[in-house]
Formats: sequence, C-alpha cells, structure tokens
Amino acid sequence: MSELQELPDDPGAVKLPDADGRVPVRIDVNGRARTLRVRTTQTLLDALREQLRLQGARSGCGVGMCGACTVLLDGRAASGCLTLAAVCDGTDVRTVEGLEDPSGELSRVQEAFLRHRAFQCSYCTPGFVLALEALLAVDPSPDEAAIREAFSGHICRCGSYSRIMAAALEVAGATDRREQA
Amino acid sequence: MLHCRLVRSTAAHAEITAVRTGDAAAWPGAVAVVTGADLAARGDMAVLFGPVLLDQPVLAIDVVRYIGEPVAAVLAEDPAVADEAAALVEVDYAHLPAVFDAEEAFGSDTARLFPEPPERDPSFVDVTLRADHERNVCNTFTVVKGDVEAGFAAADLVFDDVFDSPAAGAVPLETHAVVADARGDRLTVWSSTQTPYITRRQLALLLGLPLNRVRVIVPALGGGFGAKAYASVEPIAAALSRVVGAPVRLHLTREEEFVTSTKHAMRVRIRTGVMRDGRIVAREATAYYNAGAYAVISPRKVMFGAYGLNGPYAIPHVRTEAHAVLTNTPPAGAYRGFAINQCAWAYEGQLDMIAERLGIDPVEIRRINLLRDGDTFCTGETLDHLRFHDLLDAAAERIGWDPDEPVHRDGDLVRAKGISCVIEGTITPSTSTATVRLGPDGSVDVLTSSVEMGQGIRPALAAGVARHLGIDPALVGVSYVDTDLTPYDQQTTASRSMYSMGGAMGRAADDALHKIRELAADLLEVDPADLEIVDGQVRVAGVEQQSLSLGEVVRRSQVGNVIGEGTLVTSGGLDPFTGQGVGSVHWHQSVGAAEIEVDTATGHVRVLRYTGGVFAGEVVDPVGAEHQCEGCLVFGVGNALMEELVFDQGQLVTGTLADYMVPTLEDMPRHHEFELMEDPEHGEVHGLGEPALPPIAPAISNALYRATGVRIRSLPISAEKVLRGLRERRESEQAAGQVDEVTSVGAQG
Repeated sequence: MSELQELPDDPGAVKLPDADGRVPVRIDVNGRARTLRVRTTQTLLDALREQLRLQGARSGCGVGMCGACTVLLDGRAASGCLTLAAVCDGTDVRTVEGLEDPSGELSRVQEAFLRHRAFQCSYCTPGFVLALEALLAVDPSPDEAAIREAFSGHICRCGSYSRIMAAALEVAGATDRREQA
Repeated sequence: MLHCRLVRSTAAHAEITAVRTGDAAAWPGAVAVVTGADLAARGDMAVLFGPVLLDQPVLAIDVVRYIGEPVAAVLAEDPAVADEAAALVEVDYAHLPAVFDAEEAFGSDTARLFPEPPERDPSFVDVTLRADHERNVCNTFTVVKGDVEAGFAAADLVFDDVFDSPAAGAVPLETHAVVADARGDRLTVWSSTQTPYITRRQLALLLGLPLNRVRVIVPALGGGFGAKAYASVEPIAAALSRVVGAPVRLHLTREEEFVTSTKHAMRVRIRTGVMRDGRIVAREATAYYNAGAYAVISPRKVMFGAYGLNGPYAIPHVRTEAHAVLTNTPPAGAYRGFAINQCAWAYEGQLDMIAERLGIDPVEIRRINLLRDGDTFCTGETLDHLRFHDLLDAAAERIGWDPDEPVHRDGDLVRAKGISCVIEGTITPSTSTATVRLGPDGSVDVLTSSVEMGQGIRPALAAGVARHLGIDPALVGVSYVDTDLTPYDQQTTASRSMYSMGGAMGRAADDALHKIRELAADLLEVDPADLEIVDGQVRVAGVEQQSLSLGEVVRRSQVGNVIGEGTLVTSGGLDPFTGQGVGSVHWHQSVGAAEIEVDTATGHVRVLRYTGGVFAGEVVDPVGAEHQCEGCLVFGVGNALMEELVFDQGQLVTGTLADYMVPTLEDMPRHHEFELMEDPEHGEVHGLGEPALPPIAPAISNALYRATGVRIRSLPISAEKVLRGLRERRESEQAAGQVDEVTSVGAQG
C-alpha cells in the first residue's frame, strides 16, 4: 500500500507559502477542525507536538523506521515524521489522545494494553495502539499473522512484545497460538 | 525558551583552526551562536566535565577528538531556525593522527588523545585510577588469583583465542533530552538522566554552585539502558542557559544519540588451561575496552571486565587484565550488562570449543566447573547462595538438552541448541536513601530518587512498601525524581535499585512503623511493646477489637504526617592491582539456552526458542520481572545477530534506524521463557535489569557451532560471517579429505 495514496488527490490542494514561508492548512484533528500555519518543511509530527501540544505521537528515529510517531491519517496508520504537515490540508488526523470517547472512556485497545501491562517505558505504546486500531478498522478479527504484519514497523526497545501480542490477540478475539505448537 | 542545535565535528582528531559563526549569528531568528572558546573566555564556569576524569569539554576547545563531538551551539526560539543557522557555521580543522581501534591505540606511537593528564573529579572517590595518558589509557584493572603460570604448566591443554565485540547503541526510543534554566543564582534542569544526583554534582562543579542550588528534575524516561547515566547533554544546556540568560532545550536526534554514548567495543585474548577431565585450571586474559574519546565511566568498567573474565567457574589460577583505552570514536558509556556481555561472549564461546576438543558435553563441562557455595572467587571472596547448578540443570531440561541429540537437518535448514552461564556483580559500594510518608487518610508517599525509565521501579517499590506496611498497593504513590525534594540515591544503574532502594525503602517503612507504634501507644494508653501492627492495623496484642488503622493514628495524633527514613549503604571495593577485596554485595547468576535454525544457503540465523534462568532471590513484581527478562532478550538477540555501530575512519556509517537494526517482533523467538529462581529463606532481592542478558549471545553462537561447526569470534553473527565460515569449513574439509573439527576450532594443545 503506497504512501502516496495518502496524499490529497488534487496536487493543487497544496497551497503556496506566504512571505514567512508558511502555508495554512486545515486539519481535522481528533474530531476538531484546526487551522495551522506550517512551514513547508515541517512534519505532521512536529505540528501536532509543538503547535497543538498533542504529545502522544513521539519522535523516535525521524526516518519512519520505529513507529513511535504513528498517527491515523484518514483512518490509516502513517508515520508522522515522514508526513509533511503542509500536504495534510483537508485530512482527518487521529492521535492516541483522540481514541477515548467524549466521556473519557478508553478504547478497547487501550484497555487491553493496560490490562496486560503491555508496555515498559511506554514511549512506543501509542504507535502500537494506533497500528492495531488501524488494522481493526479494516479487519475486525485479524489473525496473528495480520497483527504481526501491522506491528512489523514498530520497535519496542524495552521488550514488551509478548504482552503487546497478548493484548492485541485478546482484542482481535483470536486465540494465543503461541501457547499451542 | 531557546532551542539548541549543535554543530558537530566532521574530523576524527584535529586542531580547530577557525570557527566562523558570522553567517549563523546573522540568520534571522538566531539568538546566539556559542563556541567552546566563548565559554572558556567567560571565566565564570568550568569547561570540562566527566564523572571520574574532567576530560570532556562542554563544547570542543582547540581540539576535536571524535566525529560528532559538539563544537558550537546555535540557539533560536524556533528549532527549525536553529537547524538552518547551524548549517551556516563553518569550522576549519588541521587534522591530527587518529586511532580507532583500542588495541592499536594502547601505547600508540602516532596518536595520542591527551598531551597532558586530565584532572580528576575530586568528589569521585570510589575508583582508584591507573590511568596513563601517554598510552591513551584511562584505567587498567588487574585481578590475580593463585599462580597462573604454574596453572598453565600443569594443564593438559591450553586454548588461546581472541574474541571481539563491536560498539553498539543502547537505542532508548526516546533520545536524550534536557531543559536547563540557569537564570538567577540557581540552576534547574529537567533531564532524562539515570543519574540525577551525580548529574547534580557534575553541574554544580561546572557552574561553581553549591549542590543545593542545582535542582535536577527527572520525569519518566523513554528507556535508558545505561546510555543516560552520567552527564552528557546537561552541561551543554546548563552552560548555554547561563550564557544567554534564558531556559535552553536540547533534544538529540537519533543520529546524535548514536554518537553520545555507546556500548564499549572490546577485544580480548583469552587463554584457558584445562585438564583432560574438563577441569579449568588456569585462565589468563587481556581485554581492551574501547572507551572512545572521553573516559566517562570506563575507569569503573574495567573493574567489572577484569573480574568478569573469570566467568562463573572455580578456577584456581587466574590473571586477568582489562584496559580502558581512549580512541577517536564517540565516548562509550554504561550499557545494559556493564562490561560483562563482552566477557561472556569470549569465555562461553571458548568453553564450547574446549568441550568439543575434550569430547565433553557442553552442559557437563559447565557442571564440572561452575562455582559452588564455599568456593573462592578470583577476587578472594568466598561465595555463598550460589544456585548455578540448579539454574543450569533446569535450563537444560527446559530446552530439552540431550548430549547425544544429532543436529536436525531439513534441506538447507539446520537446527541445534546452545547453552551459556554468566556471573555478574552489582555496583559496590553504593548508597540509597528513601523517605516513606504516611498521610492521615492512610495513603502513603514514597519519596525516592530512583529513576523510572520503563524498568518498573515505581510499581515495584509501591508493591514492596505496601507489603511492608500491610496495606493495599493502590494506597502507595511513588515520586518521580526532584533533587530538591527526593532524597539521595547514587544512581539508577547496575540492576541495583530493587536491592538498594528497595532496602532503603524497607528501612524507611520500618522507621515509619516505629513512629506509628509510639504514637498509637500514647493514643491507646498502652506500652508500645504491647502493640502489634498487622495488615495496616495497630492493635493491642491479642485484642483485635481495639485497633487503629495507620491513617487513624496519623489523624488522631495530629502530627500531620508520619515520616520514616531509611538508608542502605553497602561497602566493598577491589584493589586495582590485584583485584582482591569485595567486588559485589551479591552476585547475579544467570544461565541461557537457545535453539536456533541456520539457513546454510543464506547464512541467516533465527532463534527459535530461548529459555533463561536467573537467581532472583525474591520476585517483588512478577510482571515487571518478566518484562525485564524479555527486555534482556531484545538486547541479546540484537547484540547476537544484528547490532553493530560500524565506523569508517571514525565516521559512523550505521547512524540511523534504517542502517542500525534492532529486533522487532519478527526477530524475536516465538517461544521464550525465563525461570526466576527464588530463595525466600535468604530473603534478599536481586535486581533483574541485566542478569538475563549476557548469556544470550554466547548461547546463540554456541548453538550455531553445534549446528555447523562454525565458530564466530566477532559479534554480531551476521549472515555474511556465517556463510564465510561455512565456506571455509567446506574448503578445509575438502582439503583434508575428511572432517577435522579439532583444527577448525583453532584450539592448540
């Protein structure tokens, strides 16, 4: 699945920068319309963290290899560090902060991660959670292979993979096949 | 707040002949451009730092010693502006002879990093230095037991091998970050440090402030693994904040993180003398730890390395020596498994070569030699509470060890098992203090300076204090670190917190209970000796109806809160010329067993199953303990199969996570388990942050050896090395016309 598909269909939608080198973008972030002026070189991750103070997406590598900066861009998992904010005009962005419902109830993925204590330092956790949310959106009961594929671009350096898988398998309703075999 | 972007050296070893900052300073939005010379010219701060030796400049002065060394800093309110301006700073270098390999640097005639010996940090007393700047040595440590020459003379066979471990990155997912505010006559630092109190001391020395005017605040860290121990980015941010009179933030990129603190590359020549019955009778080893350009904690690391090379075996005659050698590579620091991974990689690999040569099963040769209670370690310590044999037997059983099991072949895929045992110390002497504060509602605050970096010290301390007080862990809150408020702790490293801080916290809880008892005695008008405290209730012994909760005692006695304090100080230390003394307050014991599959067509090695066994003493938080062991497995698999900082003439060429591979879920063995052996009667908690790690790489390598006869002596076990080994083996077999495993393993009789 090509990253390019996540860009706006109409290249004309990318506006030219103003005298400060910034372009206005309108992004729906966690269900709320936000208008930002962003540098043409600014990443979506930077815009979310520094301008909107949404710090659930984290910088880990800057080259799209670790998954810590994952956000949902029009429903699909994307690396915030590789996505330029300037091309996100008109998109819908969801971060880990936007997963809970208005009453403050966590998503079932978040609940499962908590129940399984599926983290150590938790720096990578929002990325894993959003990767699973994105998968569940297209496949409500993914099998273990599909979950592993969804997690393949995510690093947990502390080593919580077993519990992350256990949490994910529980949400997916799948049996933990590691126990068999 | 100003954001800092560093201009870093592009020369491995050079004199700085010019730093041109004009264009950067004139860049719109740039607030200041600062060089090392600027800091030195002020005269209001020291410009060198280091936990043992004051050898590292805040920003390079006159000389750079590695590619990536900070040379100048650019400050701007917008980090993007700081980035742009930093690109405009130009530095001219006059190159000096550079050296990158530790053994080559040791006594090098051509390259010398320091013409004069660096000063010591006067407050760091527990490392005796045998530094020799004329030979690029920042410390040497020697351990001598028995008469090693006599041991070799008596040996039936002597094995002589060289093993290499490369530099590696700890790769905490969150890179180093700091905000420093030096306005007024104080310094406040928000830092990702694992060593808040040492960092405070280093910063106080740097800025000439009393300790109590330096405040180090440490929120939760996104991983540490040793890399965040000792000051690194903090002196830069603190000095710059003083220069510009504003808070300064410095957050490293991944590329910068890789050159800020590395695992020591290490080469060791290890000679082991054995009898035909498998007994090890002599060991001599000389190790060169590559310290990089600055000493940091290398002077202590060689102590661990020197006794670590003995391994977990009862060897009557030992002489080991470890040198920390300065080179023109990034500074090496603390790293999970502190010096021991490199030792285990060598002695456990060699032991399987010895076993094969002697025709003894690898598990059996370990049974013959493993330390037992009452044995004397190479440090002269008489060891007790040893469970190596139990751990080994259990691990062998879990992996399904069978001495006669043939390797499994399925086309190009070959499977086999390997085993490994390791001993590791914890930092000794060391000091922790803790405060336990009981509130009138029955809730409890634990004030601690142990750093939470994902290892789970906060839930573990909460569980421990709750158990001590007999209350629900949900009532216990554990602080984050703020040196203005939380009491002294030496450092969060060396798998020491659960033992040291846990011990201090237990004493603090006891102190609080003692005060509760006194207060309750007044309230109940009885003698304190008649009171018992059970499940968080104070009652007159035998009279259950007359009881008060801890909170009620605080409330009704109107003391506001009850504060208990506890301190745990361990003593010991080793003589650096003989290695004799007390090396560790207790010894971490660890065993690992791996089953691997190697694809002989590609050289690719996969770990199918791994099981480890660690002596835990007592497990306080089972989930946290499990996490720590799996964390060790991530590091072990990474070290074994993929992780290496590759340098080309001092330039790191694996400086991004696209080039430097760390294990993902797919790289981990599908099946793994750890036994955490407890000994409740002994009642001592052992840390679990590191012990499971050092056996992993040698166990994997030993499995590969059993599968293919290929002995890899240089980590990581890359597919290229395996293929080369297979080819060499095939060629030598063809040449010999027969399988001759003895010569192929490089043993000498």
